[in-house]
Amino acid sequence: MLTFLTRRLLSAAGTVLLAALLVFAAVQLLPGDVATQVLGQDATPEAVAALRDQLDLNRPAALRFVEWAAGAVRGDFGTSLVSGEPVAGSLWLHLRNTLLIAAATVAVAVTSSIVLGVVAGLYRDRWPDTLISSLTLAGMSVPEFVVATLLVLALSITVPVLPAVVLDEASAPVGDLLPAVVLPTVALSVVMTAYIVRMTRTSVIDVMASEFVTTARLKGLGAWRVVVRHALPSALLPTLNVIAMNVAWLVGGVVVVENVFNYPGIGKLMLEAVHSRDLPVLQAVAVVGAVVYVLCNLAADLAAMALNPRLRTGERSAR
Amino acid sequence: MPRSREGGGGPPAVPRRTALLGGLGAVGAAALLSGCSPGGRSAAPVLSQGAAAGTPAAGGVLRIARPPASQAETLDPAGALSAYEYLGALYNRLVRMDADGETAPDLAESWESDEQGVRWTFRLRDGVRFHDGARLTSADAAYTLRRLVDPDLASPQGTVLSPLVDPGKVTAPEPGVLGVELKEPNFEFPALLTNYNCYVIPEGSGDAIGGTGIGTGPFRLESFSPGGRGRIVAYDDHWEGPPVLDAIEMYSMTDIQARTNALLAGQIDLISQTNLDFATARVVEASDRATIARSVNAQWYVLPMLTTAEPFTDPKVRKAMKLAYDPRHVVDVALQGTGVPGNDNPVPPGTPYWTDYSVERDPERARALLKKAGAEGLEVDLYTSSYDPVFTPMALAYRDSAAEAGIGVTVRNASADSYYTQIWMNKPLMATYWYTGRPADQLLNQVFRSGSSYNETAWSNGDFDGLLDQARRTRDPDRRKGLYQDAQRLVVDEGGAMTPMFADRLVGLSREVLNYRETGFEFDYRSIGLRP
Repeated sequence: MLTFLTRRLLSAAGTVLLAALLVFAAVQLLPGDVATQVLGQDATPEAVAALRDQLDLNRPAALRFVEWAAGAVRGDFGTSLVSGEPVAGSLWLHLRNTLLIAAATVAVAVTSSIVLGVVAGLYRDRWPDTLISSLTLAGMSVPEFVVATLLVLALSITVPVLPAVVLDEASAPVGDLLPAVVLPTVALSVVMTAYIVRMTRTSVIDVMASEFVTTARLKGLGAWRVVVRHALPSALLPTLNVIAMNVAWLVGGVVVVENVFNYPGIGKLMLEAVHSRDLPVLQAVAVVGAVVYVLCNLAADLAAMALNPRLRTGERSAR
Repeated sequence: MPRSREGGGGPPAVPRRTALLGGLGAVGAAALLSGCSPGGRSAAPVLSQGAAAGTPAAGGVLRIARPPASQAETLDPAGALSAYEYLGALYNRLVRMDADGETAPDLAESWESDEQGVRWTFRLRDGVRFHDGARLTSADAAYTLRRLVDPDLASPQGTVLSPLVDPGKVTAPEPGVLGVELKEPNFEFPALLTNYNCYVIPEGSGDAIGGTGIGTGPFRLESFSPGGRGRIVAYDDHWEGPPVLDAIEMYSMTDIQARTNALLAGQIDLISQTNLDFATARVVEASDRATIARSVNAQWYVLPMLTTAEPFTDPKVRKAMKLAYDPRHVVDVALQGTGVPGNDNPVPPGTPYWTDYSVERDPERARALLKKAGAEGLEVDLYTSSYDPVFTPMALAYRDSAAEAGIGVTVRNASADSYYTQIWMNKPLMATYWYTGRPADQLLNQVFRSGSSYNETAWSNGDFDGLLDQARRTRDPDRRKGLYQDAQRLVVDEGGAMTPMFADRLVGLSREVLNYRETGFEFDYRSIGLRP
């Protein structure tokens, strides 16, 4: 068990480092650097030279990466090339805001999709199943920015009950941001729900057809008890990985949705950093994204082990 | 309504905005929303001309959504990274440009030069105070001017003023008098001070001005965060009297769709620095809360041919490219009528030095010229991007029009994100635009003179440069005007820039806003207000 954990953690660290390296290399390949991007059409040779000098961009890229990585290990993500402020400060603020959306989305999407998936599975091929399946399929097929736009049209413009965009800055108190969290959460949940619903539905159908459920029924247990106590734990197992993948997908999905809502989260921070080629910020975001991704998968594996006795014993007998 | 450029020195460049995602988002929104707009996309443009005018309510807060330049933006008017919308509210210039494009007094009440146009004297307005209470003197004006030509600052206007202004010969003989002895004669010197980089800041404030924003303008700074939000409040001791509004709040929004949604939802009152595409503009105009105002001739669209690259090194080919297309067709297709043909003359129609000289379209002559140049069946690539919604329609309209002269144009789409670093001044033929609002002298010198860093066609013509020099030395205004018009004719006949059109900027604003007038990115900050 311990070796397994250590091995997983080491490979996780490797993945994160690799992600940082790839992002760094990719930005080097993008045309233009921070000086030309920030200056745009005002980028006369003199102005670019002055800014490059000022930003210390003339040293080799590899050297800058090594220095950055050394700092990042100690928790120092350097200073933004554009604003000159430490990256860490704005990174944590934006991350906090994104986690607000992510947590709300996970709570809403996972709960509702498991309930819907179970219902669809139990009523297989009858009208509740058809309704749930086609609705979630539609939700899955529409890109999140379209869902977001439709929500704004309905709930901010036609019936103005929720803000269309966030006017607050990243440093706003959580309480001020709460009304702005609703629409992004709904938009992301709509897209995310479909996958989990379909997975849950399939495994519920499989499990309900299995012998131990039949046994439980034959014991004379009530339908509710059979589903909750016997079928659900087994049915959730394959669903866990899908949930983990979806939480990781959130990290990318929020980029688009945050920009539509002008929400000051990590996705908006990332897009701005890409536009201005602000490497330290971009790499910090990439590392945070990679860490979230790796942690989600790790958590899914551990949870799968906790739920599945066969995996645990398998590990023990291998030793 | 006569089409005239409104006053003010607009920013010299296309704003440093990357609109890749924003543009896509807006297209998505437009496609979705156009179903809700009466008329749909097939209808002829019925976009309203100007903003509502009238007597606004006293006070009120105007909320503006603006695209954030970057976290590096500052309130320093002289730098290349200034936050445009704040500048005109916070500062004044010595000389401004009035609605007819003529120079007009701002902080300087009057000015005159000697016979040669070398020694200039500006008399400053009395009793003007900065926001911190300090009195405006000629020392502040002298400091501002010396700073503009400081090579370390690399001000965009520095490239225009440095050949003229010797910092050692900018003097303040009396608190109310500024003296400037130019390196060479120039009777257009006051016009060059109308640029937005030339706002006057307090003496010695150069290092701090980017954050403090202390000027003499009708609003003073309450808060500002680069790339974020900010708030300016009425400055009651402004020399022209206080503005109508109590305050203006600025919000930064990267995504065009987000800015539009905020306007439609009533969260903001005005979208600045954004030329809405036609579909979005119709949606905005159809809404109950918001409408469209046109900033007339605000954008000058160009198809620059790089005169140092094949096949445009040959003047006959350039001439053929110009003769081949119909500017009227480009205006109709790309602008849906919200603009005027440019006739390849970069000076906006109706401005003081503009000439109506134009060469009639003639595809047959274009064909003959190409034959003479040995370039029959010419095939060229024309680069465009989603950076601006009009680039691609303009390129396609040009392609279709030029086909009648046997010129094969392939329109190529490049990434908006790096358009101005990779394509502009690099590819032989591309689509671009500038903001209008520059005096003719500055425009012609900056974009067309040999060796200028903004010379996007790399055109070099000794006669043209000579005409500009001669014009600057000419005291008689009518003769000077004639020389600038001769220079424009040379650009039309021989230069590398095709100017198919001048376009109105489609600005989204709330129906509550009164007296919106914009020149460059500078509003009429004193008059703009909200409905009572």
